[in-house]
Amino acid sequence: MRLLNIAAFFFAITSALLLYGLNYDTRRLEAEVQSKERAAERARDDIAVLKAERGTLARPDRIDGLARQIGLAPPRVDQFANGREVSDLGDQDRRNGR
Amino acid sequence: MAADGTLAIGRPAPDDVRKRRTRSATETVVYGFLFFAFAEVAIHLLTLAAGHQSAVTLAVSEPVATSFSRPDIVDRNGRLLATDLEAPSIYADPGVVLDRDELVEKLATVLPDIDQKELLRALSDRTRRFVWVRRGVSPKIAQRVHDLGLPGLSFRYELKRAYPAGLLAGHVLGTVNVDNRGLTGIEKYIDESIGTDPVHAASLSTRMPVRLSLDIGVQHALEDELDDAEQKYRAAGSAGIVLNVKTGEVLASASTPRINPAWPSQAHDDKYLDKMTAGTYELGSVFKTLTIAMALDEGLAKPDTVIDVRKPLEVGRFTVTDFHPANRPLSVTEIFTHSSNIGAGMLALQAGPDKFEAFLRKFGMLSPLKTEEGPVAAPQLPPKWGKASTITISYGHGLAVAPLQFAAATASVLNDGKPVHPTFLKRYGGDQAAEKSLVTRTTSRDMARLMRLNVTAPDGTGKEADVPGYRVGGKTGTADMPGRGGYSSKSVISSFLGAFPMDDPQYVTFVILFDPKGTAETKGQHTAGYTAAPVTGRLISRIAGQLGVAPTDVAASQ
Repeated sequence: MRLLNIAAFFFAITSALLLYGLNYDTRRLEAEVQSKERAAERARDDIAVLKAERGTLARPDRIDGLARQIGLAPPRVDQFANGREVSDLGDQDRRNGR
Repeated sequence: MAADGTLAIGRPAPDDVRKRRTRSATETVVYGFLFFAFAEVAIHLLTLAAGHQSAVTLAVSEPVATSFSRPDIVDRNGRLLATDLEAPSIYADPGVVLDRDELVEKLATVLPDIDQKELLRALSDRTRRFVWVRRGVSPKIAQRVHDLGLPGLSFRYELKRAYPAGLLAGHVLGTVNVDNRGLTGIEKYIDESIGTDPVHAASLSTRMPVRLSLDIGVQHALEDELDDAEQKYRAAGSAGIVLNVKTGEVLASASTPRINPAWPSQAHDDKYLDKMTAGTYELGSVFKTLTIAMALDEGLAKPDTVIDVRKPLEVGRFTVTDFHPANRPLSVTEIFTHSSNIGAGMLALQAGPDKFEAFLRKFGMLSPLKTEEGPVAAPQLPPKWGKASTITISYGHGLAVAPLQFAAATASVLNDGKPVHPTFLKRYGGDQAAEKSLVTRTTSRDMARLMRLNVTAPDGTGKEADVPGYRVGGKTGTADMPGRGGYSSKSVISSFLGAFPMDDPQYVTFVILFDPKGTAETKGQHTAGYTAAPVTGRLISRIAGQLGVAPTDVAASQ
């Protein structure tokens, strides 16, 4: 009986220590999760800013101006060809060794 | 112990009595301990419950500013048009502010447009702990305010709507208020039909982006051409739309002067009215498209039916004449290409007021229309639909409609008569619900041919809209603008209803110029054939390729 009591006492002490350890680990993991969530939130904000900046840089009126500065213009009708013609031209070039 | 053991049985030994007493005492101590332990737990729980309640009361009494996180808005190809960004907002705690006058004066150096009197009044109330100074400022401004080092000023991050494409499609996108709630346009539609999420911090929305039917490349081309036209013809304003005939999707819609969605106050200024949806106008001869379609569909005439249009039409005290009198009988085709008011009037009269009204009603021209951008301005109908109204409406006077509504009606004519419901949201695959055709396929094809002829015929009014290779068709409209004391032919609304490719119309364009002036290039003319038609030609030459319309030679060789 006494042996059982001593075993129960040690079991209780061990459980308390184990619980303390688990509690400590849980708090540490909670802090880690919070820090990761904050990092993810910051990353999401950064992505939103970058997307907005990309949208501003790629806005058509800006690209239009830049394209015209380097001599580009909207495509003319004679600049279109169907896929087969383009493919034929490629074959011709290969035959001519170009 | 007794020798016979009798005593041992009848009376317990003193050791046993002692042991029993000790056990009883131990049990009392243990039970007592357990009782006090449970009592302590109960007291602790009660304390916590009471404490928790007071914490909630405190939280509710704190000033909490609610904002809303909104989904992004993207064009049909996923290019960003509107998004939420974190932005600092400045607030003050009147209880901590040391010198109100100094604070307001110094703030005014960074925020010159601040309402100083109002801020002073708000800061005078020492019972308040929270006063907004300015919400959604740029990080640069926030830093400058921070550098002033004024006690009592603090910052919190909130969501602010940003429009990376600037003024592009401003009228369609609409505006939001300082709490990030939609006020007009698609932004309002998001609040009403898609949903926003209330947030107390700068938390971005996790909702899927709202995909519009707009194509920002086509939208830019339209806005650019309208800006150029407005400058070139010194017009008082302009508007334009590109509509997909098959799906009703609006590829581009613009109105000048353009509105900045980041400045909600502009939305209340009449100057920035969206002329495409929020204004109604008598559109002039473009309306003959519907009149002739009715005549063909009702079997009143065929394209080669000849009508004598030499005599002016007398209606009460009005006399209807032609702008370019032909002085000979004209076929229905010629009535369209010469834009004969008399011919259109005679065809409408032949149908009669009831039939003509019923035809326009069938196309939704007489009832209010609603799109995702908001309600379209209701048509202004004649007070009495008599003979005079029938004649004037046949050539686009006496009935004022929103240009978007008219463009949708003509798209229905060209879509084999199937009704076209304009939408600003992208439509995904699948056939639309089968609806009854409004006109026959033959009428639709005849109208497409007439519109093409109006651009290719040597005497057609829409010659300037032609773009070799893209089979453009269309109809001009020059309507006198109503003003004080009646209509003035000096000020006109010049418009061009275009469509391409006319062998199977895919897209409808509608360009309107308000009060354009003639130039040396137009030989002083301000009519649609010289102004709105060439603008449409330039627009189609820019957008046809983007929309995947193959030029004739390429299409024929495929």
